[in-house]
Formats: sequence, structure tokens, C-alpha cells
Amino acid sequence: MTLHLIIRTPHSSGIFADLLDAFADGDYLLLIEDGCYAALPGAAGLDDAVVAGRIGVLREDAESRGLLARVAPSIEIVDMDGFVALTERFPKSLSWF
Amino acid sequence: MTDTTQSASSSEALLIVLRHPPHGSSWLREGIDVALVAAAFGREVELLFQGDGVFALLEGQAAGALDQKGTHPQLKMLEMYDIERLWVSQRDLDRRGLTVDDLMLPVTTLDPDGVAALHAARPLSLIF
Repeated sequence: MTLHLIIRTPHSSGIFADLLDAFADGDYLLLIEDGCYAALPGAAGLDDAVVAGRIGVLREDAESRGLLARVAPSIEIVDMDGFVALTERFPKSLSWF
Repeated sequence: MTDTTQSASSSEALLIVLRHPPHGSSWLREGIDVALVAAAFGREVELLFQGDGVFALLEGQAAGALDQKGTHPQLKMLEMYDIERLWVSQRDLDRRGLTVDDLMLPVTTLDPDGVAALHAARPLSLIF
């Protein structure tokens, strides 16, 4: 039951592969800061089955990067309040740099 | 004594390579600052967007959640400084599911060989 936070773009390093290795049942992935670029369709190679319904992108960071209208349909848009709610729902959170 | 190093004459173009996306760090802003200053001092400047740098040109950017300015306002000033030769790696656009229609400024795309040729043709370059 871990909330994973990632702040890097999917293209900058092997970080996404490492994260997905650690992604377990009941976990949730929130794309924040430059992690939002993984919300573009097909950008991060996020295998939908693995993260389906358990992946969101932070509205404020996506909006400033001009991504809001380009978020893949399978990814939830979560605003700052939603982010706080996630931190309450998940006892543990992991930040990927 | 002759200067054997490959020195760029003062009239040669300066190539600024931008590889980082907006907002996430200051790399992009600092690279654009150098481009604007060099142009203000009469240097011919060209920009090459590679890797995540292609995100710098994405249409529709806005201020950050904490009102951080971002870099899109600076990019709109490039024209005023006569910086109009903007090169973009086509492969890096493809990898991100983007096309030139998603970009806020007119650009020229380069395939990998074109990128290599451009680097080779510009002895004077800085990477951000």
C-alpha cells in the first residue's frame, strides 16, 4: 500500500523501469513536476494493465506544462486536494528522483 | 605560433543546445538567457532542442502553481532578438508522441544524422 511519487520525465533515465518493478498490488502512482510528461499517451510505456486505475497526474503541474489537454484517458487528473487525500489514504509514500 | 585548436571566429554562429523541460529545473531558463544575451551582443545564435528539451516548445504552457514564470514568455522574445533558426530532433518528438503542430514556434526538424551534422558544423556551442 504505497503511494509512489515521481518527479522525473520518463525519458531521462531508467527510473520508470525501477519504479514499475517496485509497483505492487494496492499501490498508486502519482506523476508530479516533470513526472507529468509520462501522462502523454504512450510516452512512458506504462503498461496499462499494471497501473490501470491506479495512476494519476497532478493537475497544477500538468497545466503549467501545457499537458492538461493531452493526458492519456487511462490517467486520472488529481488536484492538490486530491494529492493530500492520497497521502492520508496511503500509510507509506515513496519519492522517485 | 599558430593556434592549432579549432577556434571559432567572432562571426561564427553560437549553437545553444537545450535538453531540459520547462518548470522542472532552471536549466532551460538559463540556456535561453545565454542565447538572448549573446544575441544582444551581436552574436548569431541558433537553438537546438534535443531530448526533453523539445517539451520547452509545447503549445499551451502557463505559469506554475506558485506563479512561477516558466520559460514560454522568454521563447516568445526570441524573434525580437533575431533568433529564428530553431532546430528540433525529430526522433525525440516521435518518442514523446509529439509533432511540430504541437509546438508554439516554427521549427526545422532534423533526423539523427542531421543532429550530428549540425553539432559538427558548429564549433561554438553550449549545452543546457
